[in-house]
Amino acid sequence: MNSSTGRKPTPRGLFGRIADHRLDYLYILPAIGVMLLVIAYPIYYTFYLSFFRTPPSLAMSDKVFNGIGNYITILTSESFHEVTINTVVWTVWSTFFATALGLGAALVLNRQFAGRGVLRGLLLIPYVISAVAASYIWRWIYHSDFGVLGAILNRLGIIDGKLNLLDNVNLVLPSLIVVNVWKEFPFAMIMILAGLQTVPDQLLKAARVDGAGAFHRFLHVTLPHLKGVMVITVLLLFVANLNHFTIPWIMTGGGPAGASDIWITQIYQIAFGRIRFGLASAYSVILFAVMVVIGYFYVRALTGNDDVRRRG
Amino acid sequence: MFALISARKGRTLGGVGALLVSSAMLVAGPVSAQGSDTGVDPETWTPEYVRSIAGQTEPNTAEECSQVVPLDYSGSVDYWYVGPNEASPELEHKMYDDFWAAWEETYPNIEVNAQNLGYNDMLNKLRTAALGNAAPGVARLPILWGSEFAAKGQLSELSPEDVGYKTENFWPGAMKSVTQNNKVWGIPTNNETMAFIWNAGIFEEAGLDPEKAPDTWAEVVEYSKQINEKTGKAGYGLVARVNAGNTPFRFMPMAWGEGGGALDEASDSPSYQEVWVNNDGTRRAVQNYYDMYVRDKSVPVSALTNTQTENQDPFLANQLAMVIAHPSEYATMLDRANKATGDDKAAAMQVVDNMRYGMIPRGEDRRAVVFGGSNVHIFNPDNVDGDLDMEAAKALVCFMTGPEWSTKLAWVSSNPGNTRGFETVWMKERLDTIKFLDVSTSMLPSGIPFPPVAESPEIMNIIIPEMLQNALTEKMTVEEAAADAEKKVNALLNGM
Repeated sequence: MNSSTGRKPTPRGLFGRIADHRLDYLYILPAIGVMLLVIAYPIYYTFYLSFFRTPPSLAMSDKVFNGIGNYITILTSESFHEVTINTVVWTVWSTFFATALGLGAALVLNRQFAGRGVLRGLLLIPYVISAVAASYIWRWIYHSDFGVLGAILNRLGIIDGKLNLLDNVNLVLPSLIVVNVWKEFPFAMIMILAGLQTVPDQLLKAARVDGAGAFHRFLHVTLPHLKGVMVITVLLLFVANLNHFTIPWIMTGGGPAGASDIWITQIYQIAFGRIRFGLASAYSVILFAVMVVIGYFYVRALTGNDDVRRRG
Repeated sequence: MFALISARKGRTLGGVGALLVSSAMLVAGPVSAQGSDTGVDPETWTPEYVRSIAGQTEPNTAEECSQVVPLDYSGSVDYWYVGPNEASPELEHKMYDDFWAAWEETYPNIEVNAQNLGYNDMLNKLRTAALGNAAPGVARLPILWGSEFAAKGQLSELSPEDVGYKTENFWPGAMKSVTQNNKVWGIPTNNETMAFIWNAGIFEEAGLDPEKAPDTWAEVVEYSKQINEKTGKAGYGLVARVNAGNTPFRFMPMAWGEGGGALDEASDSPSYQEVWVNNDGTRRAVQNYYDMYVRDKSVPVSALTNTQTENQDPFLANQLAMVIAHPSEYATMLDRANKATGDDKAAAMQVVDNMRYGMIPRGEDRRAVVFGGSNVHIFNPDNVDGDLDMEAAKALVCFMTGPEWSTKLAWVSSNPGNTRGFETVWMKERLDTIKFLDVSTSMLPSGIPFPPVAESPEIMNIIIPEMLQNALTEKMTVEEAAADAEKKVNALLNGM
């Protein structure tokens, strides 16, 4: 506005700028109030509670200040290391396979062929099914005694006897990852498909004219254009998997013998199974710290794209 | 310490002790004999005995409660409970409707603001309400829940004598569940135990006597193996899922029977300070589980992720021979069989016909079963929303814990907490109309409640199942799993 007068803008202080935008702040005040109530306060209270011992025999008002005792208890416990390994395996492999499968499906669906719309609809089904319903369905598919999968493999003569996936400490986590990937890959597919449709057609044509084959066109034209959306997809999936509760909890409850216990199921178990809200809060703070790091990279990925666009 | 624990366990009523108790019962009559610390003699409390005492009385509840709170008393009280829901049988709804109609007729000037909350919602709501000093005056809770509120000082002291009844009219096991620090914090409303159920058809197929249940846990292991070897079907319906109440309800009877326990809840005078989870008896029970699951492979492979609900399908499909379940399991199976169609229906009805109920097997030490049910509590006035009307609360508690309504409100799936209910005409009617009720009822004297301490849910729902899973997956040996559980229980009791 000042530029229209031809004068240099007068530098204003923080309060001045706030005063200038007072109406804007008024508009967003209700939203900020709600956020403070439902996000900021719970985060603060979780931090606060993480420094207290809250055994089930004590009322919450009688909680005992414990300093960083809860954090020490968690970080030095044998189960924490086991659960952390499970969490890393669950999160990394779920994210990797969901992204890879989503990329493959998106590349297929980006081509013109008969029935593409129907196939796209079919591939979206896992994503729109409720996670609870899907978990129960897969529990029966995998069931160690009467599972559909075991019955089919027996009928085909591939195995002889029972197929023990959920009650086997070595196979339970890979089996749950399969379910999770099945549930999540359509999300990656949709994100990447959207990204693919922004790849300039003239660049692909130019590459073809220059003699580049399909693989090289994908590697040197398509993939660089997908980089931004891929990074965001991976980060979103990573966060979602780190927080994913439904599938492992409903299908195995973290068992057998803790073989499918991940951070989030462990936190739930400590809070609502063992009634140790202080310990569960400390666990949540650790998870929160990891999420903040990932969130930082996510924001950087988002704003990085903005910078590129602005520079462009 | 272990020698001490072992030495304490010569506590079954054998020899002279059993003779004395039996004699006392003959002299004092059927129900008054239940008042001793050890309860009635399990050997005498048989299905035939339960039938023989039923139908002798028809108590007048209004008259009894008028001795506690005058019938013209005017007041009000809030009441929360887990009552019938959409899935409950019509008869249960009718009993509750009748209860409220009778209440209004008896105490027309006491207003009760009753809230029927779902089982899954109530505990957390009550915790939150008590924390915010907004608890109801009266609440009826599943047997294990009250101990947490008592430990936190959120309940008022309340014993049967406070509402005109006698402690000896209630099961000793049930009274243990409302006793903490030598104080009584509630009154049992209803109590039940599970029973041992088997498929006589599969027993016959496996060359076993179809009408005879295994008498000991060792026989259960043998039968399970024989059934699996001869028929290819699963023998015993073992469940070992973590964080599921089904697991301790089925494992603890075996552990107690073999002389073990979590704490010392199976002793005559439990302190709930001694840890028995790593004693000979508990290890023997874990070994039984190991033998069936790992060595013999005679139970469902899915036992580690199963609850009893998942056992119902294979049982009805004639693929599983033995389970531990509620008295109402027969009605559930019959209902499911009726919903089947075609050949499935005929097969399912055959299984229902082949269902047999028996006593829970005994171990080397005793016969035992988890003592379940509910208790009614009056909250501490400091934690109650508004002023607590103690007289109105007592009138309501008296009304529901008397022999009449403790029988009628438990009609479908439990038993009266007030043992005078067993002598009533209503109990006789139940026995005449509910199949196998006499069998599960006769298990009551063998009932042991879970420890009424705030740590109980963690011990029973997490530590015990984890011990089983560690052994059954061979992540640990039986001995290591029991030692690991002992370490966890000790840490828990020490406030870690």
